[in-house]
Amino acid sequence: MKERTDSDLVVLARSGDSDSFGELVRRYQRAAYSVALAVTGRHQDAEDAVQESFLVALQRIEDCRNPARFAGWLLAIVRNRSRNLIRRESLRRGDEIPPSASSSGPAPDKAADLSALRSRLREALGTLSETQREIVLLHDLEGWKHAEISERLGMPSGTIRSHLHFARKALRVELSGWKDHGRAE
Amino acid sequence: MNTEHEDRLTVVSVMDPAHDNPGYWDRFRTGIMERAVFELARRREIARESVAAVLSGWSRSLIPVTLAAAAIAAILVGSEARSRAASGPPLALEDVLASEVQNNPYQALTRSEGPANLVAFLAVVEGNVP
Repeated sequence: MKERTDSDLVVLARSGDSDSFGELVRRYQRAAYSVALAVTGRHQDAEDAVQESFLVALQRIEDCRNPARFAGWLLAIVRNRSRNLIRRESLRRGDEIPPSASSSGPAPDKAADLSALRSRLREALGTLSETQREIVLLHDLEGWKHAEISERLGMPSGTIRSHLHFARKALRVELSGWKDHGRAE
Repeated sequence: MNTEHEDRLTVVSVMDPAHDNPGYWDRFRTGIMERAVFELARRREIARESVAAVLSGWSRSLIPVTLAAAAIAAILVGSEARSRAASGPPLALEDVLASEVQNNPYQALTRSEGPANLVAFLAVVEGNVP
């Protein structure tokens, strides 16, 4: 069966179609999380911002004048809500590992390693600009291509490539001492 | 040749909450859907109401127009029937044409005597009956 376009889903979601709205959430929750994480730098804040953003998007879905560009519209909401959230809340200290199911979670030493790596990576990401963080997370975490990022963020493809290049270079420098630091494969 | 996606900085994947938490995104989505239940229900209700409103709007304007059209049709049909009754039975075209002609020229035309009938017909019409 042909996959429904974002436009189809937005039109149906306007009429309260749960499946269509659920599909929009499924398609863009990871990208929304990447953007929120780029702004807030914290898992819990990013999670809250994404949940809030999807609900706001549903309440204001009539404002999405071009349903084919739903993704870009949603990510703008996520960015704004994330900025509002960090403005509202005082920054919390300490590492925040997403809650994991105890049965399927990693072993304690592995979890500690993962926690340390996340912490290190968060610091490294903190050295980048918000735009660079957003682009590197959308590309390397969510897996969007240059063209997709370009279209959805409304930036020229060359700018995306340039940001990605400098962001990665900076991250490699920051993570150079890490035993399992990432490398381009 | 490397594709764009093979050129990912793989270490970034540890920032994915599902990295050590399988099923994270399904649960996350479920949480959003639970919070969206009332808004979705409200939208379904509005959609239902707007369909009913459109139909009732149509019926509100359609019923008077239909009644008016039916009344006009009834008046027209009634007046036509009255005028038909007043003017008697309808006349055939040939009767109208021949109404002021004395004698009946059609009898001359329909006599089975061949081409001469046409002459007889004209003679009757022109009043030159032998």
